[in-house]
Amino acid sequence: MKRPLGAAGWIKVILPWILLAGLLLLPATHPSDNLIRLLFITAVWTTTSLGWNLLGGMAGQVSFGFAVFFGLGAYTTALLMHAGHSPYFGFVGGAAIAMLASFLIGLPTFRLRGPYFVIATIGVTEAVRVIMNNLDVTGGASGYRITEDKPFSPLEHYYTAIAAVALAFVVSMVIAGSKFGLALRAIKQDEDAAADLGVNPFTSKLWIHAIAAGLTGIAGGIYARRAAFFYPGDVFAFQTGISILLMPVIGGIGTVWGAVLGGVVFGMVEEELVVHFPNLHLLIYGSLLIVIILLEPDGLLGLLRRLFRLFRRKREDSGSPDADQILWGRGGVEGRKF
Amino acid sequence: MRKSQIFVGGHFRRITALAILLGGITFFPGSMRALAADDTITIGVVLPTTGSESKPGQYQKEGIELAIKQINDAGGIMVKSKGKKLKINEIFYDDGTDSKKSASLTERAMSSDNAVAVLGGYSTALGTAESVMADRYKTPWITTGAGATAIFGKGYQYAFGTLSPVALIGTTTGEFLGSLIDQGKLKKGLKVAIVVENTDHGVDYVQGFTEWSNKHAGYFEIVLNEKFELNATDFSGVLQKVKTSKADIFLSDAHLPDYITMHRQYLQNGLHHQMVSYGARGPEAGARQALGAGTDYIFSGIWWSNKLPYPQAKKFAEDYKAFTGHDVDSWYAAPAYDGMRILAKAIEAAGSLDKTAIRDALKKAQLKDSVLPGQVLKFGANGQSEYPFVITQNKPDNKVDIVFPKDAATGPPVAPTPNK
Amino acid sequence: MDAVEYLDLLLKALLLAGVYAAMAVGMTVIYGVMKIVNLAHAGFLMLGAYFALEMFQRFHIDPILGAVMALPVFFLFGMLVHWILVRWLPKSDTPTLASLLLMFGFLLVLQNVGYLLWGTEDQSILTPLTLSSVQIGEISIAKVKLVVFVAAVVCMIVLQIVLHRSWFGRSMRALIQNPYAAKIVGVDDQRTARLTFGLGTAFAGFAGALLGMLYSFSPDFGRPFLLRSFVIIVLGGLESVSGVALGAIVLAVLETFSTAIPLPWYWHKWSFYYLPPSYQPVVPFALLVLVLVIMPKGLAGLFNRKWKAA
Repeated sequence: MKRPLGAAGWIKVILPWILLAGLLLLPATHPSDNLIRLLFITAVWTTTSLGWNLLGGMAGQVSFGFAVFFGLGAYTTALLMHAGHSPYFGFVGGAAIAMLASFLIGLPTFRLRGPYFVIATIGVTEAVRVIMNNLDVTGGASGYRITEDKPFSPLEHYYTAIAAVALAFVVSMVIAGSKFGLALRAIKQDEDAAADLGVNPFTSKLWIHAIAAGLTGIAGGIYARRAAFFYPGDVFAFQTGISILLMPVIGGIGTVWGAVLGGVVFGMVEEELVVHFPNLHLLIYGSLLIVIILLEPDGLLGLLRRLFRLFRRKREDSGSPDADQILWGRGGVEGRKF
Repeated sequence: MRKSQIFVGGHFRRITALAILLGGITFFPGSMRALAADDTITIGVVLPTTGSESKPGQYQKEGIELAIKQINDAGGIMVKSKGKKLKINEIFYDDGTDSKKSASLTERAMSSDNAVAVLGGYSTALGTAESVMADRYKTPWITTGAGATAIFGKGYQYAFGTLSPVALIGTTTGEFLGSLIDQGKLKKGLKVAIVVENTDHGVDYVQGFTEWSNKHAGYFEIVLNEKFELNATDFSGVLQKVKTSKADIFLSDAHLPDYITMHRQYLQNGLHHQMVSYGARGPEAGARQALGAGTDYIFSGIWWSNKLPYPQAKKFAEDYKAFTGHDVDSWYAAPAYDGMRILAKAIEAAGSLDKTAIRDALKKAQLKDSVLPGQVLKFGANGQSEYPFVITQNKPDNKVDIVFPKDAATGPPVAPTPNK
Repeated sequence: MDAVEYLDLLLKALLLAGVYAAMAVGMTVIYGVMKIVNLAHAGFLMLGAYFALEMFQRFHIDPILGAVMALPVFFLFGMLVHWILVRWLPKSDTPTLASLLLMFGFLLVLQNVGYLLWGTEDQSILTPLTLSSVQIGEISIAKVKLVVFVAAVVCMIVLQIVLHRSWFGRSMRALIQNPYAAKIVGVDDQRTARLTFGLGTAFAGFAGALLGMLYSFSPDFGRPFLLRSFVIIVLGGLESVSGVALGAIVLAVLETFSTAIPLPWYWHKWSFYYLPPSYQPVVPFALLVLVLVIMPKGLAGLFNRKWKAA
């Protein structure tokens, strides 16, 4: 694994620090409220994207059901804040409840493989939404409100979200470079072979699911605190789960930077799309998904890489086996010819 | 050899396709922002014109835009601090019936477009999500489509609403049915089945009705009180309960899509009650088209009707038709129209574009020629306006009559409704 | 509730099962031959409903006839979709996520096209049949449900005949049972796949038109029915078209009776408790998860080649 770092390697090491420094120092330049708001949303979405990518990208278990964790994070944070706790305690609580839920969901559904797991997650998320819509404790479909006594501070929300995204990034990087990450990749490639090598696929999947859920729960809590009002038809919506899934797929499934890119594109571009093409944004996402599946499984990151190489006039196949593995399955790689 | 061929062949095609797509997405929208001119008044409007609430959202948008056009045609609003009349510059955002977007787009209008006020928020959930932003950005916000009292009970200083509280529909419904009993058209001790959507809207409705019913003992007996899931496809479970309850009166509180779907299944199940209501929904043209004669005799408690006998209401209906090319067949446009008009009045009274001054003016504002029932629109202490509801009843051949209160009535109520 | 009411519910459940079966069968054949979990099924259902609506409003064609007309139209449409999109997917013995996400992307596109063409309002097809019902004693049954049931059953029988008697049906079943052997004996798998996709889409369009007669619909129409289709094919996956029929009956009965059966409940003492109707939509979703989790045998049957198309 260890190779001497080339120029590109150094960029990879330095880039996150530059980005982080830039984001932390940005408020000093007195940016507009709107920019801070957009960056906040972007950071929240990127956190969920990184979380999803741990399970979907690294371990190859695609889930449509992350809205459950997002929503549970939102509600737990709100309920804890309502009980008088600090919001930061609320975020931790949100993560804990989301992780607990991930075990409850994972224990039965991880016995299923591939698409059956996917379908099960669709069922879970829809069922949870309907139940939350009717649960009196949380206000049912009327939603829940967070009231904070102190004045609204956009920067506090902003820094919280940046902290969350940094946490998600570090967790992703650490896992990607660890033995556990290696085990996850083995599971993605071949569960049975991984088991033969001494990896326990079931517990590995459970743990990575929990970590992913925890990160998503934190993001949900941070989102809820700023939104101050939310309801099940919003945080638990199927659409929320879809968005969380689309980001890493669009950005480049299976790589940490792909997930970040997807989150950034989604956070920054989505609102513009909605504002300017209210009638077309489903079409755009749909076509993007089709194009990515059929032409560029590595997503935008793959495209960037390709453009970079084109620019450098070095032509080589850039298709990463990672994305192929997740999207096309084990037997599928040879079939992808045009 | 073969590999490289494939690669070179597919390479450019892929890149071009993706690059065009990406370029389109990333760069196109940025160039489309229209910049507001200096001497206009920027008003944000956030309503759903796509998604499940698109129709009411569209009507409300038309109501607001009609008011803006009339104001601008008259030269604009006199702003004392600027010493001249300023025209209104409307910035419209469609939230796609998604509350996440309603909230962010309201924020966007308040923070980056520097709107002096924001109008919008159709349907309770979307309006509630927007209401948070008003005090946060100290910008007056007027909801023209969210009537649940929960929005206004939070001590917000910048949130206003032109819809009378939903609970009042329930109360008015009780009053109306009570008057039918007093007239001897219906018998005392009616068994009532109430089935409402599981939102604040539904909760308020039930609360209003039960309050009236408790105060007037002996009139009603509530035999069923159930909730249903918003935007459901299948109401068979809840309708089965209604059937089993053997009620005389069927009251529901539903949004337009649910009203249509539910009443369709109601008819298919061969149900019939002495009186049927879907809360604030009933006379909509869409429902008539979908259910034909099936909607006859449904009564509804609504915020406005084109049958109101006021001259300004008649004029509004005519102007609306000239402006949009279609009849004002439902109540949605009127509170939106008046919301914009009372805002204009407040801006003029404030004499400046200072948001807090406008807020203060809104608290005191009175719209004396309001098209809404009661003919005067003003906001209560909590920011919500309160005016009477009218009860309308659908009659055969696409006719609608106001049947309650008596002084506004255009026809007699049909009660109990004939069975086929 | 008394016996008559239960009988009433049972009848309603059976009538519902007919449409459910027609709805799920298209998904089953596509899955069987191509191992594609067709999420775009929801989009085809939605288009089917609008097809019947357009036929009815523009040409005054009875929606039942419209549903039958949807069969050839959607057959061609399905073949076109296969030719443009699906054939690029790699062959695989097991469903791939690529196929799942591709069809999901296509579903988004179809939905958006629906919004552009027909707007977002709920539409419904209103014929004289729609609101009238047959009264048998205390039981009333909507006429439209009877008609739809008959149409669905007839169509399923025709499908059975096609699968058993025609050359195409035989090659399809051969591909489902053993793709390698089928290819060796000369079955053209690309062509059969294209025809199968057409057939599956045709049934989706047909079922969509039938559903459009029963419910009001908008371009977001298909999703709850998509999940129900999953439940049905997973439930009935053991065997064939008749398996789908069985799955449809199980789902329809459970859904219909979910709020009518008292559930025992222990809280200090035993008491009975009815599921509130607002929880009724949970039933198919929960059932989906339950079936997937507790019936891995059924799944194995569905997703193995032991599964038979007839």
